[in-house]
Amino acid sequence: MILSGLIFLPLLFALIITVWPQRNTVRHIALGLSVIEFVISLAMLQKFDPASSALQMVEKTTWIERFGISYFVGIDGISLMLVMLTTFLVPIIILASWNSIDKKIKGFHAALFILQTAMLGSFLAMDAILFYTFWELSLIPMYFIVGIWGGARRIYATIKFFIYTMAGSVLMLLAIIFMMRLTPEVTGGQISASLLDFYKLRIPFIAGEFFTAQTLLFFAFALAFAIKVPIFPLHTWLPDAHVEAPTPGSVILAGVMLKMGTYCFLRWVIPLFPEATEHYSWIFMAVGVIGIVYGALVAMVQPDVKKLVAYSSVSHMGYIIVGLFAMNAYGVNGALYQMLNHGISTGALFLLIGMIYERTHSREISKYGGLASALPIFTIIFVIVTMSSIAVPMTNGFIGEFLILLGSYQYSPWVASIAVSGVVLGAAYMLWMVKRIFFGPAGEIVKHAAHDKEHALHDLSVRELVVLAPLIVLIFWMGLFPNHFMDYSKASVDHLIKNKMGYSLVLTGEGK
Amino acid sequence: MNISIGIADILLISPLIALFVFSLIPITIKVLRGNVEQSPAATVIEALIGLTLTAGLLILFGGSGKTAFNGQLVFDGLTQWMGLIAVVASAGALIMMYENPATKGKQFSELVFLAMNSILGMLILVSAVDLLIIFIGLELMSLSLYLMVAMSHEQKISKEAAIKYFVLGSFASAIFLYGISFVFGTAGTVNLIDLMDVSAGLVGTNKLYLFGIAFIVLGFCFKVSIAPFHAWTPDVYQGSPTPLTSFMATAVKTVSFAAFLRVLATKPLLGSQNLFDVMQWLAVITMTVGNLAALVQTNFKRTIAYSSISHSGYLLVGIITAGISQNSAFSATSVIFYLIGYGLMTMGTFAVISLIEKDENSVVSTENLAGFAKKQPLLAICLTVFLLSLAGLPPTLGFFGKLYLFSSAVNEGLIWLSLWGVINSVIAVYYYLRPIVMMYMREGDCDIADEGSYATTVLIVVAAILILTLGLASGPLFSMIERSLV
Repeated sequence: MILSGLIFLPLLFALIITVWPQRNTVRHIALGLSVIEFVISLAMLQKFDPASSALQMVEKTTWIERFGISYFVGIDGISLMLVMLTTFLVPIIILASWNSIDKKIKGFHAALFILQTAMLGSFLAMDAILFYTFWELSLIPMYFIVGIWGGARRIYATIKFFIYTMAGSVLMLLAIIFMMRLTPEVTGGQISASLLDFYKLRIPFIAGEFFTAQTLLFFAFALAFAIKVPIFPLHTWLPDAHVEAPTPGSVILAGVMLKMGTYCFLRWVIPLFPEATEHYSWIFMAVGVIGIVYGALVAMVQPDVKKLVAYSSVSHMGYIIVGLFAMNAYGVNGALYQMLNHGISTGALFLLIGMIYERTHSREISKYGGLASALPIFTIIFVIVTMSSIAVPMTNGFIGEFLILLGSYQYSPWVASIAVSGVVLGAAYMLWMVKRIFFGPAGEIVKHAAHDKEHALHDLSVRELVVLAPLIVLIFWMGLFPNHFMDYSKASVDHLIKNKMGYSLVLTGEGK
Repeated sequence: MNISIGIADILLISPLIALFVFSLIPITIKVLRGNVEQSPAATVIEALIGLTLTAGLLILFGGSGKTAFNGQLVFDGLTQWMGLIAVVASAGALIMMYENPATKGKQFSELVFLAMNSILGMLILVSAVDLLIIFIGLELMSLSLYLMVAMSHEQKISKEAAIKYFVLGSFASAIFLYGISFVFGTAGTVNLIDLMDVSAGLVGTNKLYLFGIAFIVLGFCFKVSIAPFHAWTPDVYQGSPTPLTSFMATAVKTVSFAAFLRVLATKPLLGSQNLFDVMQWLAVITMTVGNLAALVQTNFKRTIAYSSISHSGYLLVGIITAGISQNSAFSATSVIFYLIGYGLMTMGTFAVISLIEKDENSVVSTENLAGFAKKQPLLAICLTVFLLSLAGLPPTLGFFGKLYLFSSAVNEGLIWLSLWGVINSVIAVYYYLRPIVMMYMREGDCDIADEGSYATTVLIVVAAILILTLGLASGPLFSMIERSLV
């Protein structure tokens, strides 16, 4: 029951928020409820057996019998940490948006909780239609978060986000329907939408022929996830959405929603279509490294700091794709680790940018300069997060990128050597940005603040420090003791790599 | 031919009789009171009692699979479900009529009388298994409808709509009738049960029979607004009073598809590859034309009119699937299920429009919706649910409708049609999102015209709840429909 609780409690929370009578305590209630959710996920973590690659805490009941659709959820090492990331980020987001979201507070928190349900559901669903339901459901609250609480071009950005993502996923729906039609072969006559039955299908693959079942299905699924990740050249919705989204929206988008794409490559694409994945992995390697370099180069020239971070996301997600499609233990472990890292460090960057924006109402890098003297604590934290983002040793980013580079070297030294250039470029644009904002001669904003007592810059408040502290702790914790986290996913990833040509999962839990 | 009408026949058509009797009540009372209208509330309540009784009788006697009047009418699962959808959708339209400024007023009892007789025509249409009886049902339904559109006290545009609808509708009926004459001439019968054995063979060997079937199909395409025979739809839907638009878009379309399904169930598509190809292209064109045209509309009603054209395209995919499938019960169930969802969400959308209309001549454009969420949060959420369901997003009923429809199409190998369907549903997202953008993301002062319109509000909320719950609980419903069809 614990997984269902995790998935559906936020939905209940959304309802509580909607009917809550007092407007001024909505935030407190929302924060409390999201912490409860996080505590429940910690309890789930306690129950989780890291040594096993099995699908754990399984719950399965028939949902739509005629089509073999079931309510089927389970967790393994691949989804565990992403679930934890989701439950961990939501309270932080609620606390971070304490002052910045000032209209329709109830609606905002309700949308956030519905989004949490959708995201957790996508990570935990083991039935194709159930998964698709959550996957698409996640669009609706995000659409409202960007569209209602976003910036000036929010409506353009949110519609673009919605249509892009939807365009990818409808082909996946058709692929799911097609695979459901094939399942009677392996289940003994009964149609089924269970992922485990899909794993058994072993759809025939003919190398070099495009119009064969496995290749087409592979691309239908891969396209849906590639848009979500997003992989170059399908990334154009991301900078728009990130820039126009309110800070909490950007954090959840970068922190969790992009991971839905990469996670699904591991959960769906690689085990379902192993031959096609191997045969076409060069495409993903290519667009992965192009994304790394392209994202970094474009980030370098951005005048808007939020857009810079958005493009750095494109670059970082390129690493994850390279790691995944290297399809070896280093690459996949690194990619999985990098998903968490990116969620934490990019999430933290968006939070920091949101905090400075609340003070100055500007994101133009050129208007800043010399901020370090005005906001020392803010500067220290920003630099730490930057170090994590550019993968300096001792921070979490280093472990992830290093493993990915090792994995990609095993795949092809060429790929690794181009990907390494991204590390250099990443350091360049991030450090240059830090230099322009925090150091050097005092810029327009700092000068203005020094003259004008009303617009004086205040350093981080206690609330903001509480928001950032857990992220800073995690940056070092994950950088110094990666095994504390990797041990949870190791068994599942090893199992996937060893058996990718005949993947299957053992079930443990109530509903097996 | 042994012609005898027994008590069994009367029992079977009892829903139709009940409907007719109740249709007479308001108008009789008006005559008895010296041509003075009774209160519209009383009229609409009488009508709703009549419809409830009809629905009850349909559930009781409708699904037995028996035929009445010498195999002219059949009461099977299809009759029952399609009839129920039509009755519920009509009840919704009646409730809207009661509160819409364009339809409430002096001639309300006449309007209700005509509406009830139109529904009577629909029930004949869904139960008919004889092409001529189908024609009679079609005409009874349509003639009442022409009058209803024309008699509203809206100004020019509804008269134009009525004339357009009448001329084009009659034209379609004529073609339909012409087709029947070919079928009778070549097959010697117009009874669909008899045609079942010969249709697939004749359509391939006899050109005249193929002509006949093609004309009949064309007639139906007119009625359910399949492109390129859809041109009347946007004008008529826009010009008619909103409750009548809802009536046409839901009830009329449902029963027309039911009869269409019965004709194709004689399997003419299996005999003629040409006919099969043409139908597939019609589906593709309809989906695409409907969606592309809807993209550029500014009038909200017209947008939904085009959206209903594209939904006809999706439904045509289902109809084609049922027409070639060995397991037609499954495909027909998908169509019925889709129609349930389509009916609820279209009715709900029109009901919201109906509430916003201030007087009989008011035009609701998409821009006008700005600020609706602030003034009417509950109705805005409901409209959002309807639009997302029309767009086919989970977890709404619209998504499950599409899932089942395309599943059955993929089952029959019609993958490319399904591909067109899903691509189109992405295009459609754009215009379904625009009203949501207006309601939630733009400042404005859109509000409903009359705060006291409780009946329509209740209708909207019930429809929204059904859309959210029926989809998630669709397993039992789907199996129930399928069992009744086998």
